Amino acid sequence: MDKQLIIAGKDPMPSLLRLGAGESLMLTIIIPEGVSLTHALEIDLDGPGARLDLAGAWKCSSDEQVRLQVVVRHNVPGCTSEQLFKCVVGGKARSGFDGLVYVAPGAAKTVAHQQSHALLLNAEAVAESRPQLEIYADDVECSHGATTGYLNPEELFYMRSRGIPEEEARAMQIEAFLAPILARAL
Amino acid sequence: MNDILLEIKDLHAGIEGREILRGVNLTIRRGEVCAVMGPNGAGKSTLSAVLAGRPDYKVTAGSVIYDGRNLLEMAPEERSWAGIFLSFQYPVEIPGVSITNFMKAALNARRKAAGQPELSPAEFLKLLKEKMALVQMKGEFAKREVNVGFSGGEKKRNEIFQMAMLEPVLSILDETDSGLDVDALRIVADGVNRLRTPQTASIVITHYQRLLEYIVPDVVHVLKAGRIVRSGGRELVDVIETQGYDGIDG
Repeated sequence: MDKQLIIAGKDPMPSLLRLGAGESLMLTIIIPEGVSLTHALEIDLDGPGARLDLAGAWKCSSDEQVRLQVVVRHNVPGCTSEQLFKCVVGGKARSGFDGLVYVAPGAAKTVAHQQSHALLLNAEAVAESRPQLEIYADDVECSHGATTGYLNPEELFYMRSRGIPEEEARAMQIEAFLAPILARAL
Repeated sequence: MNDILLEIKDLHAGIEGREILRGVNLTIRRGEVCAVMGPNGAGKSTLSAVLAGRPDYKVTAGSVIYDGRNLLEMAPEERSWAGIFLSFQYPVEIPGVSITNFMKAALNARRKAAGQPELSPAEFLKLLKEKMALVQMKGEFAKREVNVGFSGGEKKRNEIFQMAMLEPVLSILDETDSGLDVDALRIVADGVNRLRTPQTASIVITHYQRLLEYIVPDVVHVLKAGRIVRSGGRELVDVIETQGYDGIDG
């Protein structure tokens, strides 16, 4: 499997990718703190058996604006796409994620899963998530899930009751939230 | 060293504007195991939450002096550094944080607060293994995410393991017996008993007498409707057993 890591602000961001028959791509996009961007990424699965494993993580802590639009097109039968996006938004930052999964007519046996999760650090931060599925084929397995939430106060109190200072407890929770994606970047 | 470790005077506290503790008076001495018994809704868990500093509980009147300090002014982490430990009735799951990292952060934060250097990895591992053995936890336990997917018994053993790691001066066991089978209860009680010292004290909060057969209290207090209505020796446990809480009033 082809493995690619893209650090926004350092590496060029791809706009259009194509996977042919039997090709696999594991792509991880990291948007570091302090980086604002608006970007659209389109990925075409053009050959049977193509596999995409896509993940993205970003953390905004001051006034960043991140807007990421991802379109994954299953154009032929028998392709797989897995997507996981996680963002942590604090300060006055804004995060937007639009994720479209398109399944073309006749693209049977498509497997497509998409998850997007946002963790808000305060009431002024904004995270929007718009997952969309457009399915024009039968016999497919597609799902999407999106959550937005704050740090869990029960967890914070539990950690503090063991002597972990509040700031460190928050940092540990944020790290644990992003860990599944950051681990891919190692 | 002062004999009195904790002194609660006329404590009123509650949550979301509802008063639950209505004037609790309680004195705990070093070396003592003190049982606080009471029916559901008496305020037992509120008392433990207030002593540990849960932010959503508000104290409206009274005072709590712990080891000569005003406990109510201290943040939860400061209370932990000062030797207070709460064994939670419902231990919290912390996804993505391993027991090893959790305990390392807890121990090192306390050492930092006391002006001590961090434990070396070797020292930490030695301590971890020693304390895991106390509650009969196996090697892979330390790698698991805190309380995630734990059985009821494992969660309570994890609480006592943490207690052993942190070596508290005042431990508060909130309904530690709930959800435990007799084997787990014995392991937990055995752990608590082995951690007893003449300088430390425990508050054992429970609805039932069962746990007190294993952790034998020196003093028993009965909490009803937000007040301590009766105090006595361990014979009070038998009185509650035969008469129920209805038969006990101030």
